[in-house]
Amino acid sequence: MAKVHEITVWARGVLQDKEGRDVINIFAKAAQAEGKHAQAFDNYEDLPDRVLVTVRKYVRLSDEEITHKYVYTNDKPEVVVICEATIVKGIDVLRGMEPGGTLIINTNRSIDDMLKLLPNANLLATIATVDADAITGVRTVDFSGSEGGVDTTGIGKGIAAPIVGAVAKVTGLIKKESLAKIVSDVSGMERGYNEVKIKHFKPAVAELVGAAAGSKTKR
Amino acid sequence: MMTGCRAAAEGAKSAEVEVICSFPIRPYTAIMMELAKMVANGELNAEFIHGEGEHAQLSVVLGASAAGARAYTGSSGVGVTYAMEIYSPMAGGRYPAQMSIADRTLDPPGDFGSEHTDAMSTRDQGWLLGWACSPQEVYDNTLMSYRIGEDHRVMLPQMVCQDGYFISHIPDKVTLGETSQVKEFLPPYRPISPLSLTNPVSHGPQIRPDQGAPMDAMRAQTFLAIPKVIEEATADFARIFGRKYDPFVEQYRLADADIAFFIMGAHSNTARAAVDKLRKEGVKAGMARLRWVRPWPTHQLAEALGHVKAVGVVETSTSYGGAMRGGNLIHELRASLYDLDDRPLVTSFMGGLGGETIWPADFDYMAGVLSKMVKEKRTDRYVYWLGM
Amino acid sequence: MSKEDNMAKALPGYGTIDVPKDRVVPFGAVTPAPVGTQKLFQTSNWRVVRPVKDEEKCTRCLQCYLACPDACWVYKEEDDTLEWVGDFCKGCQVCIAQCTVDGALVAAPELDFEGGVVRLEKPF
Repeated sequence: MAKVHEITVWARGVLQDKEGRDVINIFAKAAQAEGKHAQAFDNYEDLPDRVLVTVRKYVRLSDEEITHKYVYTNDKPEVVVICEATIVKGIDVLRGMEPGGTLIINTNRSIDDMLKLLPNANLLATIATVDADAITGVRTVDFSGSEGGVDTTGIGKGIAAPIVGAVAKVTGLIKKESLAKIVSDVSGMERGYNEVKIKHFKPAVAELVGAAAGSKTKR
Repeated sequence: MMTGCRAAAEGAKSAEVEVICSFPIRPYTAIMMELAKMVANGELNAEFIHGEGEHAQLSVVLGASAAGARAYTGSSGVGVTYAMEIYSPMAGGRYPAQMSIADRTLDPPGDFGSEHTDAMSTRDQGWLLGWACSPQEVYDNTLMSYRIGEDHRVMLPQMVCQDGYFISHIPDKVTLGETSQVKEFLPPYRPISPLSLTNPVSHGPQIRPDQGAPMDAMRAQTFLAIPKVIEEATADFARIFGRKYDPFVEQYRLADADIAFFIMGAHSNTARAAVDKLRKEGVKAGMARLRWVRPWPTHQLAEALGHVKAVGVVETSTSYGGAMRGGNLIHELRASLYDLDDRPLVTSFMGGLGGETIWPADFDYMAGVLSKMVKEKRTDRYVYWLGM
Repeated sequence: MSKEDNMAKALPGYGTIDVPKDRVVPFGAVTPAPVGTQKLFQTSNWRVVRPVKDEEKCTRCLQCYLACPDACWVYKEEDDTLEWVGDFCKGCQVCIAQCTVDGALVAAPELDFEGGVVRLEKPF
């Protein structure tokens, strides 16, 4: 079975529900355009109709057909994307991540500030921040695509555009050109791609620490 | 002499129910008429609420039961199905209120005769579901069901069912319990987590999907414990009131029977007479009458009917498109007998639908079919529609 | 196995149902209330900003106490103070909107504080 890349996106209910979902949809559509197999879906257990509650969105990318398509959650996310930085205080966002993962946060605060809030940062090989709100300032609130509906208002108009640009740059999982064909705000996406701040940790060290800490994710 | 409706009301009165919620629909209406009179005359000290429909009736008794009151309601036919949403929350929230059903056929086209499909359609909602075959048994089941449902090992709502018209409207002899007997048999209702100002609790909160499976398992676990509680209550009832019931299955001339009718409700009276007649004619016939549909007495049925050569299930409810294309009882009876090494042949007869009578001659016909099955050692058909 | 699991013991075929201790749901799903003591539903991680009170300006008019939908302002009569229940405050800012004194209650970014949020493994 080919490797399945799992990306988990965390956002806030109602205010960012659409933007969070745009991130996963843009990624899945771009991956499909590149000939990959991709899945994008909301976590149904979350409560996206409640303002500010944390909600999860998932992407899976693979070169082959994804056989565990009805496994409900991304149990081992390789990449975690945070649409609103306070979420890292209230959730163990790296839960299930294997050593060597990537975390990308939408914030204007510094990477070092963010690291202080992450008790298990040793799992990370890469952390990045992008100030998506400063780049576009737009948070689309629209429910047409929620609860499994069809999105009728287009995707990638708001902060999702710079966020996917940043994720493409940091992970290399998708080409910027593929994203440009899908997002409404292409320049926002490109600014995210260009302005993302990245910090790498020495993989050897990260892996050593991570292996020692162990991964205790099985339910 | 009194009707099943009056007997149900007398049962509720004996149980000293505290909250009653009504909404009229034939044929159960008279239960509420009688209770309304009792409350108005000061014979029964209960809060009598007229709901705006059956959904409201069930919601009212759910709340009353949560608050700590012994609550009582009832319905018939499409009223039973209109309340459908509330059955599972009531059972899942463990509110041991009681609903008295006088069975009525579902629409269309508005036939108000008896048929068990109304209450049978709620059988997978987690309630206790029992059927009476006489006004006396309606009264007795009302008390027994409260006792069983309110037992802390159970804490589940109960349906006390009787055939509309046949039992609900045709008067029969009924002996009511003395107050002292009822007091000894039925202790006061003690809720486990009542709504209270000093110890506030949340009823019916949202739970997560990962809590759903254990919740279901715990409800299923309760149903493993209920049969023992039923046995205790039935034995206690016999001791105190002097009326003895088989806890799960009434066995009539079954011990040496070759053929048997499997039946529940009013028409079992005709079946008993038919068995007597067949015996006189030299046919070794018997009858098994089901008292509880939920919990289903799997092993008791295997024990009662295992030795019989052919069983005819008399259905009185429909399961369109079901495994046997007839009624419901045959599915569960066949499943109950499946593990026996030498199991009886089983077929079913659709009868008493839409309120039609099952005639003595129908039982003769059924006995003929069953005897032929015994002789030929096979089942030709799963379902026979009586009169068709 | 439940002590009352008698049918399962006495009769073949039913088996027993073992609900693991850590998965047992309260009987009838009835849980303690109000939400201030509801450990199963801690909502502090809904918060992006938190209400911060200026003790000097606060007049104890109790509008915040009345307005909070989650009972997160608790009035302590003995020392005449209002205590904020941080584990459950969702940061909805209704209390700030209702506050009768300019500047007595203000919203501050949650990220400016160390701790104060119950970190969960799942969203709720």
